[in-house]
Amino acid sequence: MATMQNSFDPQYYCVIHPLDDAPEEKCSAEGLGHIAMTPTVRLSLKVLRGYLILMSIMLLYHVLDLAGIVHQLR
Amino acid sequence: MPAVGVLVRRTWQKHLLTFLMVFGPGLIVMEADNDAGAVSTYMQAGGQYGMHLLWTLVVLLPICYFVQEMVARLGIATGKGHAAMIYERFGKWWGRFSLIDLLIVNFLTLVTEFAAISLALSALGVGPWIAVPVAAVGLILMVVTGSYLRWERIVIALCLLDLTWFGLAYVVHPDWASVAGNTMLPTMPAGGITSNLVFLVIAVVGTTIAPWQLFFQQSCVAEKRLRFADLKWARLDTLIGAIFTVAVAGAMMLVGNYGYQHHVVFEDPAQLALALGPIAGNFVRNGVLLLMVNAAVLGTTAISLASAWAYGEVKDWEHSLHKKVWEAPGFYATYIVCVAAAAAIVLIPRMPLQLVIISVQVFAGLILPSAIIFLQLLLNDRELLGERWVNRPWNNVINWTIIAVLFALSLLLAAQVMLPNLFN
Repeated sequence: MATMQNSFDPQYYCVIHPLDDAPEEKCSAEGLGHIAMTPTVRLSLKVLRGYLILMSIMLLYHVLDLAGIVHQLR
Repeated sequence: MPAVGVLVRRTWQKHLLTFLMVFGPGLIVMEADNDAGAVSTYMQAGGQYGMHLLWTLVVLLPICYFVQEMVARLGIATGKGHAAMIYERFGKWWGRFSLIDLLIVNFLTLVTEFAAISLALSALGVGPWIAVPVAAVGLILMVVTGSYLRWERIVIALCLLDLTWFGLAYVVHPDWASVAGNTMLPTMPAGGITSNLVFLVIAVVGTTIAPWQLFFQQSCVAEKRLRFADLKWARLDTLIGAIFTVAVAGAMMLVGNYGYQHHVVFEDPAQLALALGPIAGNFVRNGVLLLMVNAAVLGTTAISLASAWAYGEVKDWEHSLHKKVWEAPGFYATYIVCVAAAAAIVLIPRMPLQLVIISVQVFAGLILPSAIIFLQLLLNDRELLGERWVNRPWNNVINWTIIAVLFALSLLLAAQVMLPNLFN
């Protein structure tokens, strides 16, 4: 709770620092398992995999190029 | 034990005090992103194209804000860091991939930060064998006090030192009408659109939105135990941070522009500072060099903490600045190893810094799109967050657009680094 009205004097507010305040019950993933595979999640992860594969191919090409192997193959 | 609070009488006092208590993570994450690499990129943008790229910063302002607002919201809703959430909701494979990539790119970035410290202090007459170890020890001492608030106050003070950039920009007397014009409207530099111009624009985008920021702010918000009711103040903190950072970046471009006007050719800000000394005076020369050190120090502490928090969350170690060193040994060891190893690498003679910079760009190209995709998916995870915290439809339209643009730019930047012949 960020602030609370003082019960003895309603004209005063008590402002509490987050570190001094009572802990809140947060949204927890406990017991939920993995995220539900909705079409959006599935498509996003597919696009991400494709992107990472493309980046890996470029990186491999770059390493082979630096090693002079691409030049030899040409 | 009852919570200790401060009594205030007026509503505005309550709002102001609550904001001041919440303030910090948003400013720090944004301003620490103006690290040594960013100083170099913004000054190169000014040095090569004058004021023509000032408009990019205005475009980047809402992008920075929207991305980091999501991070703050997720941190407040879950009380956990980004790495932990990826592990919990997407499984070990994606969790490990994100964590390892983050640790690599962060470490390589730390090496560039210490290289900048060495470069700037060498220009001021302090040798690297003194400058780098002293900086490393200082950076370690900042976090081992067992107090998050102490660390936060020191870092906010360092952020505010960046106000000096406005003084430097004022001293070099830019044409303010031209500054306003170029900020509001994109103008074509002499020579038109070249691959160099395109990649400098991409570099500006890449340096303004860095992957570690997502991990850092979420962990920082969790560390500060921000409450649900604090979200509006965390948003304001993030917005102020974004505006301040973009304004400081603009000031850096204006100093670079001064070099452009005087036909100074430079490869790094230290060279520009030394060249500007005889023309603009010692304030500009020493100011640029010292602010370069400040930028590197800010970047190092934030990036090292992003790594230590992320690793600690995933390993399920104690990972808090509230703990003493002996209460969270793994967390502090991660921070100390990151700082000390990066500092040690910089002291190796003939260290291939260019290779490190290229590797940072490649790994950042891998981690940024994936981290931001996970962020967006988590912010649409109704099972986890419920209706209160998930993105609204308009949020999603904006964020998917930002993600598509970042994917394209990351791919282009990585392609330019790895397949340079394609662009010649």
